[in-house]
Amino acid sequence: NPIVLDIAYNFVDFPSLENRM
Amino acid sequence: PIEDLFTSLNLHIQRSQFEQAVKVADQILLVVPSDEDAIRCKVVALIKEDRIDDALSTIQASQRLPIDLSFFKAYCLYRQNKLDESLESLKSQEGSSTTMLLESQILYRLGKMDACIDIYQKLQKSKIESLEINLVAGLVSAGRASD
Ligand SMILES: [K+]
Repeated sequence: NPIVLDIAYNFVDFPSLENRM
Repeated sequence: PIEDLFTSLNLHIQRSQFEQAVKVADQILLVVPSDEDAIRCKVVALIKEDRIDDALSTIQASQRLPIDLSFFKAYCLYRQNKLDESLESLKSQEGSSTTMLLESQILYRLGKMDACIDIYQKLQKSKIESLEINLVAGLVSAGRASD
């Protein structure tokens, strides 16, 4: 079977905490 | 103060210390149970730790809050191979490139290759890294490798 990457994983991202610190 | 907890949380995230990030997010949530940033950080850190069940529980526990976690929920359901439920969770976010990307991965697993390829072709403008690999996989699986 052809290789399929889980590219969606790269879009599971943390929010910016810049203005919370 | 909560700012110190966020500084600590941020540091753990930068260092990919996701287990510690979950713990600090929990400390913040003890003080402010509805803090959206803390909830999002906790869910993402759990996913990065491969704790998909725990991520889903956290998402479910936050359902009453006005926070849209539908992409994360869809991603967790995809990881659990609950493909129809995953598609259902994406419905509220139709049209964004991230949603379309996950949708195409689900359609691939469902064997709906033409629909899968269709989305990848629409996404090609958005310059997502490695997208071509999945497009080729779809084409090969659909017997359309010559496209
Ligand atoms: K990432």
